[in-house]
Amino acid sequence: MTAQEQAALQVKEDRFWIYRRRLGDFWKLYRQSSLGKLGLGIVLFFVVVALVAPWIAPYDPFAFVGDPFLKPSLAHVFGTDQVGRDIFSRVIFGTRISLLVGLVASGITIVIGSVIGLVSGYLGGWPDNVLMRITDLFLILPSLPLMLIMAAILGKGITNIIIVIAVLDWTATARMVRSQTLSLKERPFTEASRAIGSTDLHTIARHIVPNVFPLVFANGMIAIVDAILSEAGLSFLGFGDPSAPSWGMVLHFADTAGATVNGYWWYIVPPGICIMLLVMGFAFISYSTDQILNPRLRRR
Amino acid sequence: MRDYLIKRGASALVTLGLAIVLNFFLFRIMPGDPTRTVTGDFRITPEVRQALVHQFGLDQPLWVQFVLYVKNLLMGNLGVSFQYRGTAVISIIFGRRLFNTFILMGSSITVALIIGIVVGTIAAWKRESKFDVSTVIFSLVTYSMPVFWLGMLIILIFGYYLGSIPIAGTMTVGITYSNVLEYAADYLHHMTGPFVTLTISFIGYYFIIMRDSILDVFTEDYMLTAKAKGLSNRKILFRHAMRNATLPMVSVIAIEVTYLFGGATMTETVFSWYGIGRLIYEAVVMADFPVLQGVFVVMAVVVITANFCADIVYALLDPRIRY
Repeated sequence: MTAQEQAALQVKEDRFWIYRRRLGDFWKLYRQSSLGKLGLGIVLFFVVVALVAPWIAPYDPFAFVGDPFLKPSLAHVFGTDQVGRDIFSRVIFGTRISLLVGLVASGITIVIGSVIGLVSGYLGGWPDNVLMRITDLFLILPSLPLMLIMAAILGKGITNIIIVIAVLDWTATARMVRSQTLSLKERPFTEASRAIGSTDLHTIARHIVPNVFPLVFANGMIAIVDAILSEAGLSFLGFGDPSAPSWGMVLHFADTAGATVNGYWWYIVPPGICIMLLVMGFAFISYSTDQILNPRLRRR
Repeated sequence: MRDYLIKRGASALVTLGLAIVLNFFLFRIMPGDPTRTVTGDFRITPEVRQALVHQFGLDQPLWVQFVLYVKNLLMGNLGVSFQYRGTAVISIIFGRRLFNTFILMGSSITVALIIGIVVGTIAAWKRESKFDVSTVIFSLVTYSMPVFWLGMLIILIFGYYLGSIPIAGTMTVGITYSNVLEYAADYLHHMTGPFVTLTISFIGYYFIIMRDSILDVFTEDYMLTAKAKGLSNRKILFRHAMRNATLPMVSVIAIEVTYLFGGATMTETVFSWYGIGRLIYEAVVMADFPVLQGVFVVMAVVVITANFCADIVYALLDPRIRY
């Protein structure tokens, strides 16, 4: 190993410890927020439920295990649906789909939004103008009706739901990343980086992305919330995949079975509560992260 | 002010232009025959189809189709519906449905706004009191609820258990009204469910924005001046704080018009309210693409106009704003 390589390795190692320490500092602050801990707890709970679903669900979610429309009992905690499937098991398995779609769709959303925001903010000029016009358009158009229209064009299914959400929900991230990039671009350290002859790509990757990342993270939690709610809405309206029922899908079946007008509350309440709790969990995390990242908010 | 007006107007027009371009191509990215979305449906008679192919230039290159599409659009020709067997899309949208949606959206947005502003002001004033905490929790809960689920709960509780609201529709089927008042009463009775659902789903958002805005205003110097002048709390709060804090709400309302279309789609579907939202849902289910394309244009025009108006009103109210 040459001395140069060794030095490079040393730098890498130092950087690792810096990030490690920053993460530690962040966690110390985060731990003080009871709302943040509550949110994390809720999300972890659902993650665990999703992971161990096959072991904790009493029945196969697709099997006809009883008479239709049974009331809640010890055998069927949330009763049975119109064809005699166990609602409790369906809700447990629904966790997997709702969580998966929420995370994957928002993940793509964040990537699209960040790239557009970075390019737009860093390059400026006409690329910025064009990209921001497009962002404005998507920001201003009603997303749910647009999602429905796209879903109608693309067809049913989980993959299409993810695509539809990802394609239409990236605007907020793009806006935020752009404005951050604009201000970071003018800071001395980016100027220094450019002055010693770094490429644009290097400057963005080394100096801008690490500084934008924390805000993207806090924003990402809200993106997850949006994605979960959008998925629930689309599935409720019947665009889900019947072979992979999410909570929204369970509610779709409840609606088609006339659960509201027949008073089958056990069919309606549990899936809705789950959606609500999961959304709250991510919202709490986002709120606490925001408080740590924006000290201005803490003072007020 | 004139420059600002022109600048905003131009930008609104550009956005609208982009929306129309998007709308044109969105319905042509479908797999299979590109003309399928415009005419190629078994529910339309061959004669009508022939006329449409000619009108929209469907046998010609894409750019000619686009030019013809824009031309037809400007003349108010949005094509014909599949599910209603050839009825003009424009007459489907601009009829009872638009009226119903307008009444429902207008009333719930107004009520939610008023409650949100007043409650937000009081909550910010009595920060960290029981009132404040419970209203914050309320808005958090309503924010986390899917709108359609809230609607289902309201039907379950007030429709099924209490039997106090009709479960679906815009009016009682098969009834003849002796006078206008009776008609209005039945209409409003049917509107209760969707109205309450939409209002609840929007109060929380308004409330939080207003509360934040007031808390911001409290840190301003003129608040200290007002206090130093010896004004009563009431005057400080409603004359000075609330007025200044309401300013950001103007742009919030414009954004909210966008969200209302989404909320209306859900709510109208759950309550079978005969409006634009339900039309979107039905058109999607029935693969009625011309209607969807038409609704898209109308929606774009409405939200872009709303945002443009908000920009203007904002600038009129706050002379500091000049982009």
